[in-house]
Amino acid sequence: MTTARITLASTTRPKTARGRRRQSDGSRVLPYIFLGILIVYFLIPIWWLFVASTKDVTGLFQGTSGALWFDKNFALGSNLADLFTYNDGIYLRWLGNSVFYSLTAGVGATILSVLAGYGFAKFRFFGRRFFFAVLLGSVMVPLTALVIPDFILLSDLNLTDTIWAVILPSLLNPFGVYLMQVYIKDAVPEELLEAARIDGAGEFRTFIQVAFPLMRPAFVTVLLLSIVGTWNNYFLPLAMLQNTQLYPITVGIGLWEGQASANNGGGHSLWGLIIVGALVSIIPLIIAFLSLQKYWQGGLSIGAVK
Amino acid sequence: MKSTPMKGNTVKKKALLAALTAVAVAGLLAACSTGGGSTTSSGTSPKLSNCSNKYVYPKAPEVSVWGWYPNMKLVVDNFNKLHKDVQICWNNVGQGGDEYTKVQTAITAKKGLPDVVMLEADHLATYEIQGALVDISKLGADKVKSNFSAGAWNDVSGAGGSVYAAPVDGGPLALIYRTDIFKKYGITPPATWDEYAADAAKVKAAGGPLFGDFGANVPALTMALQIQKGANPFTYSSADGKKIKIDLDDKTSQDVLNYWAGLVANKEVGTSDQFTTDYISGVVGGKYATYVSAAWAPGYLTGAGVGKGASSGVWAVAPLPQWDTSNPVQTNWGGSAFAVTNQATDKKLAAEVALGIYADPASLKDGWTNQIIFPLNQSILKSDAFLSNQSAFFSGQTANKDVYVPAENAYKGINYSPLTVYYYAQLQAESTKINQGKETGSQAAAAVQASLVKYAQGQGFTVTK
Amino acid sequence: MANADATLAGSPARASTRTITPRRGSKAGERRRGRVGWLFIAPFAIVFIVFLIAPLAYAFYLSLYTKGLATGGVPVFSGLDNYIQAFTDPVFLGGVLFVAHFALVLIPVQMVISLAVALVLDAIVTRFTRFARLMIFLPYAVPAVIGALMWGFLYSPSFGPLTQLFGANAPFPLSPDNIFYGLMNVVTWQWAGYYMIIIYAALRGIDPTLYEAARIDGANAWQVAWRIKVPMVSSALVLILVFALIGTLQFFTEPAILTQVSNGSITLGFTPNIYAFNQAFQYSNVNYASALSFSLGIVVFIAVYIFLFATRKRGGFLR
Repeated sequence: MTTARITLASTTRPKTARGRRRQSDGSRVLPYIFLGILIVYFLIPIWWLFVASTKDVTGLFQGTSGALWFDKNFALGSNLADLFTYNDGIYLRWLGNSVFYSLTAGVGATILSVLAGYGFAKFRFFGRRFFFAVLLGSVMVPLTALVIPDFILLSDLNLTDTIWAVILPSLLNPFGVYLMQVYIKDAVPEELLEAARIDGAGEFRTFIQVAFPLMRPAFVTVLLLSIVGTWNNYFLPLAMLQNTQLYPITVGIGLWEGQASANNGGGHSLWGLIIVGALVSIIPLIIAFLSLQKYWQGGLSIGAVK
Repeated sequence: MKSTPMKGNTVKKKALLAALTAVAVAGLLAACSTGGGSTTSSGTSPKLSNCSNKYVYPKAPEVSVWGWYPNMKLVVDNFNKLHKDVQICWNNVGQGGDEYTKVQTAITAKKGLPDVVMLEADHLATYEIQGALVDISKLGADKVKSNFSAGAWNDVSGAGGSVYAAPVDGGPLALIYRTDIFKKYGITPPATWDEYAADAAKVKAAGGPLFGDFGANVPALTMALQIQKGANPFTYSSADGKKIKIDLDDKTSQDVLNYWAGLVANKEVGTSDQFTTDYISGVVGGKYATYVSAAWAPGYLTGAGVGKGASSGVWAVAPLPQWDTSNPVQTNWGGSAFAVTNQATDKKLAAEVALGIYADPASLKDGWTNQIIFPLNQSILKSDAFLSNQSAFFSGQTANKDVYVPAENAYKGINYSPLTVYYYAQLQAESTKINQGKETGSQAAAAVQASLVKYAQGQGFTVTK
Repeated sequence: MANADATLAGSPARASTRTITPRRGSKAGERRRGRVGWLFIAPFAIVFIVFLIAPLAYAFYLSLYTKGLATGGVPVFSGLDNYIQAFTDPVFLGGVLFVAHFALVLIPVQMVISLAVALVLDAIVTRFTRFARLMIFLPYAVPAVIGALMWGFLYSPSFGPLTQLFGANAPFPLSPDNIFYGLMNVVTWQWAGYYMIIIYAALRGIDPTLYEAARIDGANAWQVAWRIKVPMVSSALVLILVFALIGTLQFFTEPAILTQVSNGSITLGFTPNIYAFNQAFQYSNVNYASALSFSLGIVVFIAVYIFLFATRKRGGFLR
């Protein structure tokens, strides 16, 4: 059965059978050591970032307790205060911009993906296969090829150095369309749509009322992937924006790094700000992932399970 | 099951409506959130709607400026307070290379440059040859020429009396050193490069720290040191912009690279890139006895946390070592100027800004007292306050009078080429190979020469040597 | 119209005959619905054409011209000269060789790690393994820029912990001899968790009765993993591999960020993408840079095609 192929991990498996089998597993020490080592490996950089965030400039460059442990002076509070007030609180502005860009572009890209995925999956029309092939091929285009033409295009529209220069190109998510297409093809039965049509529902009503509710896992996954994609975006806003007030957090921290390397803080050490700024910037996404895990974990296997 | 056949027409309409709604929803979502994006937007002039500063006289015409001086905000406010007829709309789009990337993008796209842009003198020719800069000699620059030394003015001038930027600060080179280390190993500041090498060997033999650093990522410094010995890397004039003389592997250029390659090979100087956290850690931690750098270096080091805590009160500065003390040569690293771009809407007004920004006494004073900049304006260089200033970083030493002002006054200027970016990249790559022990100084010089000649020819220049 | 009909009845529509119940007038209905399908795709198609196809066409146009600093900024048509130059440019070819080598070493390592973790996590479900799953996935939530910045700090000999851990002779992971592994570590850290989650999700999607059957046949845990689980998730593996391959050949962000702290190990032509970026933004060779980008696109396309051809039995991806 096709629908069984794409399933949500946590919900579908009969728990009892699984549990019984599990208990029969023998030695668990080895896997635990293996996982333990990996956890340490994956967490060390974040641990370092946290520790470094608690140090003042002297502690960072002249500290005696080493890079992986706290200095005498626990300065996290003053570092955070410094971070949020430096340059009239530009950091918070950047953080807000990142949230704003990723939500608008993420939602927009997801809506476009859902519509297009539905169109590709459930309609037969001239040029469908060709366009779909072009769409998949587009993943292979190096970004550097696009930046200058994109810049020229947007500046012709007087849109460079505006929020649109970041949002509009980010609406493009070919992979999202692919995911939706694969999912919809299997998860939305043709018979159901046919029945709705026979009932007299218009195409859009059929889409909204019948098809859309069945797409939710894929929708959430594509939404999350689009949001993360925009949140992590660096190259595009770097090229498009001049006004520092419009920077997302990644470009903002990049700006600070460039300035720190050339004494641009004007007697104000930026290294500390960069480190504590990096720490704060990864918190929103971590929270989002941890709290939404039951939605995305299953969805990620779309397009992979056959 | 109810079956109500529908007319195709209605289906079409409904579907069309559906798709339109979808587009509208997407548009609306984006549109209603624009409010969150920009608070300073005025909406009338898209180019100037986004400034990092506030206007003092909001009704005056605006001029957009990019600049990265650390105290830029104060400088811009000072300017705006003093000018009822024009207001600066300022942005910091990055320091040095980061900004140049944006400048080059905007030149390529023929859109997106500000009216006035901060550039280092060594980059002027690169943008001038692309037609991106405006000659401001007749727009007021000639009138302020007398405020600057011949060398400083030479650095911003093109052929036939043209001027492409208003100079603000310079970077006369000197030798910064650690008094504690010098005392411990019984040495005094070297007057010549031979003495420098001898002291380096002495400290090394006594088990001391590295004597200095040959950073591959500061090619402008390497070039300045080559020029000090008599090298003349480029001969170029915008009067005949298709011709260029490239001489990067003459005896003096090779000598200087071989000199540093020797110190590197003996492990007497470090090979770390500069301006990195690692390098700062080293400087703070006493890993280097000297730091060959420009007059703006103390401000840089202070900002990075040097001169505080364990590393306070140990710094002093001496004149740059010479190759021939009977014929001393001073040279320069860095320093910036404001240029008017060809995309400026009102070039005259833009020139007023380029010449007026960072030229008022309050801004200059803030700059030099914090040792962020070394001003080029002679009214400052000659003032008592400047000359008698006791540098906090150098433990009260009158560094301006003793070292930096004489160095600046003796500086003759450098003939920069439009190939600066590529040249620096190649010099950096070859210096890296020296540091890795893969090349001698002579080999590096020859490689840079060959690469530059090929590049220049590819760009359509007639190259001579 | 007749033309469109013919196409619909031809190859592209073959799949549809299976799913749609044939009935009187269904062809007209299909045609009508086909147009509706376009309407659903239209918003995406507009964005796709404006922000991808049009810029690409323009970049291709640029790549056919040359322009020099000393030639007055007038572009001269030069046909495929830029491409000939690119494929004979030792820097570009060196970059391609590097990323190809990098992909060949990195991707198998990443796959083995993520597959191993996914299999362990699938086999053992406790509070600890759930925690492990999240922690290993965590780096995916860190933007690549921040991740690279962080590793740059950690790699710094006197600023990071290496000297402290290994003494004065601590290795510098960005030295010319170590840079390959230094970068591999950053990328593995960033992406292995994400790949692991995809494989894990695919593993959870397998019908568990298959295991029961295998067990009755006397298969042990290793055999179940190797004979049933891995083949069942092979299309997930193919999908990941394709994206890892594309991403690695276009390697850019991490080396670009680490350039500043690499002490010269990361050169201006380190990867093809970095080279193209520097040609465009540093040396003002936009035309040559466009040609480099397209040349890289060609390399990526060929690599992916070869890969998919080699694994065509395994996955249904790109069908």
